[in-house]
Amino acid sequence: MNSRDPTIHQLISDTQATLRLDDTPTATFRVGPVEASPCTWACPAGVNVKTYVSLIAAGRFSEALEVVRRNNPLPAICGRICTHPCEEACNRTQIDDPVAICALKRFLTDYEMAHPPDRPQPAPRTKKESVAVVGSGPGGLTAAHDLIRMGYGVTIFEALPMAGGMLAAGVPNFRLSRDVLELEIDMIRALGVEIQTGVRITGDRATVGLFEEGYQAIFFAVGAHKARKLGYPGEDAAGIVDCIAFLRDVNLGNPQKPGDKTVVIGGGHSALDSAQTALRLGAKEVTIIYRRSRKEMPATPSDVRGAESEGIQIHFLVAPKQLRVKDGRITGVECIRTKLGATDESGRRRPHPVEGSEFIVKADTIITAIGEEPDLSFLPANHGLDISQRWNTFIVDEAILATSRPGIFAGGDVVTGPKSVVDAIAAGHVAARSIDRYLHRKPLARELLWKPPTEVEIKVDLESRPRIPRVPMPVTAVAERINNFKEVDLGFSAEEAMAEAHRCMRCGPCRECTVCVPECDKQIALLSAANGEGALLLRFLPGLEAGRLPLVPHSVSVTGRSGVEISAQVHPLVSHVNERRCRGCGDCVSVCEYDAVRLEERDGGISVAHVDVDRCKGCGTCAAYCPSGAMEPGYFTEEWLTGLLAGMSPERTNLVVITCSWGGARLYDFIGRKQHKNMDITYLQTLCAGRVEPALVLRSFEMGAAGVLINSCGVSDCHYRFGAAQLTRNYAKIEQLVTMVGIHPARLRYEQIPSVDAARFDRILQTFARQIRKLGTGQRAPLETVSG
Amino acid sequence: MTLPATIHAELQEAVASSNALACLSCGKCTSVCPLATTGRQYSPRINVTRTIRQDYDTLLSDADLWSCLTCQKCDAYCPAGVSYLNLMAVLRSKARQNGFTGECSHAGALQSLARLMVNPDLKQNRLDWLPEQLKTSSKGDILYYVGCTPYFDALFTNLNLHTTQAAVSSIALLNELGIVPALMADERCCGHDLYWNGDVDNFRRLAEANCAAIENTGAKLVLFSCAECLSAFKNLYKEHGLGVSADLQHISEYLAGKVDSGDLILTGDDVMATYHDPCRLGRHLGIYEAPRKLLKPNGNNQLPEMSQNKGRALCCGVSAWMNCDTVSKSIQIERLKQARATGAEVLAIACPKCQIHLLCAQHDQGIGAQNAIEIRDIATIVLGRIAGNSVVVEQIESMAV
Repeated sequence: MNSRDPTIHQLISDTQATLRLDDTPTATFRVGPVEASPCTWACPAGVNVKTYVSLIAAGRFSEALEVVRRNNPLPAICGRICTHPCEEACNRTQIDDPVAICALKRFLTDYEMAHPPDRPQPAPRTKKESVAVVGSGPGGLTAAHDLIRMGYGVTIFEALPMAGGMLAAGVPNFRLSRDVLELEIDMIRALGVEIQTGVRITGDRATVGLFEEGYQAIFFAVGAHKARKLGYPGEDAAGIVDCIAFLRDVNLGNPQKPGDKTVVIGGGHSALDSAQTALRLGAKEVTIIYRRSRKEMPATPSDVRGAESEGIQIHFLVAPKQLRVKDGRITGVECIRTKLGATDESGRRRPHPVEGSEFIVKADTIITAIGEEPDLSFLPANHGLDISQRWNTFIVDEAILATSRPGIFAGGDVVTGPKSVVDAIAAGHVAARSIDRYLHRKPLARELLWKPPTEVEIKVDLESRPRIPRVPMPVTAVAERINNFKEVDLGFSAEEAMAEAHRCMRCGPCRECTVCVPECDKQIALLSAANGEGALLLRFLPGLEAGRLPLVPHSVSVTGRSGVEISAQVHPLVSHVNERRCRGCGDCVSVCEYDAVRLEERDGGISVAHVDVDRCKGCGTCAAYCPSGAMEPGYFTEEWLTGLLAGMSPERTNLVVITCSWGGARLYDFIGRKQHKNMDITYLQTLCAGRVEPALVLRSFEMGAAGVLINSCGVSDCHYRFGAAQLTRNYAKIEQLVTMVGIHPARLRYEQIPSVDAARFDRILQTFARQIRKLGTGQRAPLETVSG
Repeated sequence: MTLPATIHAELQEAVASSNALACLSCGKCTSVCPLATTGRQYSPRINVTRTIRQDYDTLLSDADLWSCLTCQKCDAYCPAGVSYLNLMAVLRSKARQNGFTGECSHAGALQSLARLMVNPDLKQNRLDWLPEQLKTSSKGDILYYVGCTPYFDALFTNLNLHTTQAAVSSIALLNELGIVPALMADERCCGHDLYWNGDVDNFRRLAEANCAAIENTGAKLVLFSCAECLSAFKNLYKEHGLGVSADLQHISEYLAGKVDSGDLILTGDDVMATYHDPCRLGRHLGIYEAPRKLLKPNGNNQLPEMSQNKGRALCCGVSAWMNCDTVSKSIQIERLKQARATGAEVLAIACPKCQIHLLCAQHDQGIGAQNAIEIRDIATIVLGRIAGNSVVVEQIESMAV
């Protein structure tokens, strides 16, 4: 499913998982968790942001959408109304503006709709149990999506006449069109999820009846559909309505026309939606009053600006004091100005009324949008579930989502109070995993919750990055939108999306998205789940010596602690010290940023390097710095590389391409197929660019290369965090030596093109090849006399 | 690997050129061999015996064939006149032809550079280090042969290395003596290391190119800062029927002559230095006194000598960029200990490779710091001893800092 798949995730922390080779006994191993980019950290659903943005930059849209869907079954919806915490976390904010990640996601779904794929096939039913999901909002839909793919039967019960929960009832069409919502829900329906709309689960059916009807587990994802009241006299007068009722009526097709002067109370998205909806329904003057300042508004700033551009007035630091009612009809609201005091528990500064600053705002219609809470009136009196009296929410462990009654789970707004779509999606994932474990009678471990294994500082050189303005989202002109409900945001074109995606700095190392795997003939040290939907890097503990593994990628089966069988492709990749050669200088210790090498003292105070294979990631940077050739990186040995170079024909013009196994992994594939006129390409791969040292380049020229092109990940997205940086430093030395020995500088080139962008690499390779053809063949050293 | 049937006939030369049949099997060679005395299971005596027995399979496939430092200490002590050095030369060449090689240090970068220099159309950019203040020309009576120090400095950045300083100081001293030396922009590697790697073909190509280039400058005297380059020109080229018409001298020989003639007066501050004899300058070429003359303190003070010096001097631990390991380092550490034991402030060297190897041992994270002693090339020390006499020298010195 994704890197949060419980079985895979379980294995990450499972140091005692076992691995069976065909012909050797079992051995212990560990899989290496990989640090994520800030955007991916920030996403509650764990969407692999960096990967899909990179794929968009390379024009590989359908693969990008596939990456999004691994963690998010509702990309078109999120692409429109997600609160995008990823963008807040984006490192580009420190340079100019964050990458428009949300809009890029939307682009992917727009692109798909323009080139529709087949409707998904129903997921095969492999398990006898069925699950009832109460509520068809994003949380319920996500849980249903995950559970049906696990093989369960799933029925969603929805009280409203249409599916989608708050997405359908609360979000206006101009932000999220019904077509898009319907299409995305239909994708989940196509998997086999039954959605019964207009069915309100109430009373004993909620806690007992559903079990009796044949469901083994229930997930309450009923959201928070009850509007908070102001609690002022006159709130039941004509002309005052809460935002939930107001928006629901509009979305159900029977809008209540607001008065000419409409006042909205609140500062969240519901307030903005209500105000903009009122405007579209014909209100002449729409005003929002909000008791704090612009900074504290829960609504996204760009959405606030959008509303203001439509002519909606927002009065900040103004609180309602009492309602003005005449003849049973609202006539206005008496307001009081506020000033901000100390920070409250929500992290925002608390407003305090300023005495004597009262004034009156006239209104024909008042829409209150001051918050929502769950409506738990559907539960029977004797429900026996833990409920927070203050918030009217279920009390559950958010890492598990199990309620106090066995088999009943709850998640989303009904637990947290009103939050964003993506938070509900995250809860849906957690619920599905918990339910799966519950139905298999496994303990509901906290570790099921997606949590980054370790926080890592992503080093990005911000100084040298050019400022690139964010591609603006094309929108419908104000005059053309304020009298209808058509979507305001129009979405990016493919060109705009690619331009915007190119702004991404690709912070952080490879996320092991495994997009490269299907076409890679190496499949080194990769562990993939039995269902073929997850993959992680495999590393071996000392219990399994590299010598016992075959020297070629090899299929094995792995049993995790969870008992789940996982098929894997493995290769021992750690560095090995040839003690006979080691002179114990410690250069390897200095360059290893994983602290995997230490010196062990031998006789006479002379030390010998020792590799901690549990820490070593096999990048081979140590080998590049070892003066005596004692460090042998697994697989990518000097001998192997030299052997490849020896294959160059002296009669041909030879181009040597050196790439790392991450940034260059796909390029290998590409070069393998591509024919270049009058030019042979010899491809040298190292696990990491850190392995590339002057000798490798010099030997390439010595053995007949007419040109050497090196490619690696960027410094900021190096899989090994420092390998590309090491090569960047080392490259100056390589250039200096190459130039000194009289090789034309144009025969050497170093690029940092990500593997997803093979097309760009192709262009550079073509240019380079043309350049080399102009310069002529290389200077192979005269052959030695070799007898025998 | 199976050796060809003709190997016995081919290696008759090894027996003849090494004079192996004279071996008394006394074992003196092994008892003085730096490898054998520093813990490696290595015996020149046994290898000579194998040669006599024509056990070429063992000899050629032995990984330690490439460990020998060719320091010639064994030969120096041999009472029977066996040349282990010649034996190594023949065996390595033959071994390489049959697909055996040593373990190249620095991933073989230096061997690659040497072979790249074989290219007949070579156009190097190797004189960037040359300060503007120094006077040089492209032709002249006296040629200064720089050696590969510009490459070393570029490659061994981790050692913070300045082996070109020896060249700068040497040229400054020559300028001081009123000499504008010729420098070759396309000087090639002398081939010494390829020769000892067994790659005699490419050694020969480099030698031929260098000889032709030197003749082209019209030089009557060629000066060297690198002991290995000088030994290659004087011994190895000669063995291969090559050579130049010019005289060949180490810079220390030339400067010592100028001290004798009174042209160079060492009046500056003394540096308490002890001198490390490079194997090539000492045992290979018999040059022991000239460097010492340049280092001898003024007045009655004696030059501090290490316990093993001159013909008995300990090697710097690695030869021809091959088979470097803990034994190499043990030898280097031992040499540094000997230097420190003299109480000298500076270890003076007359070969950039000795400088690199000893510096590398000092760079060791473990025991490097315990063996600290400043390592300085001999020309730079001499330049310091005449400081104050010349504006040029002052300029160069300020640059070197």
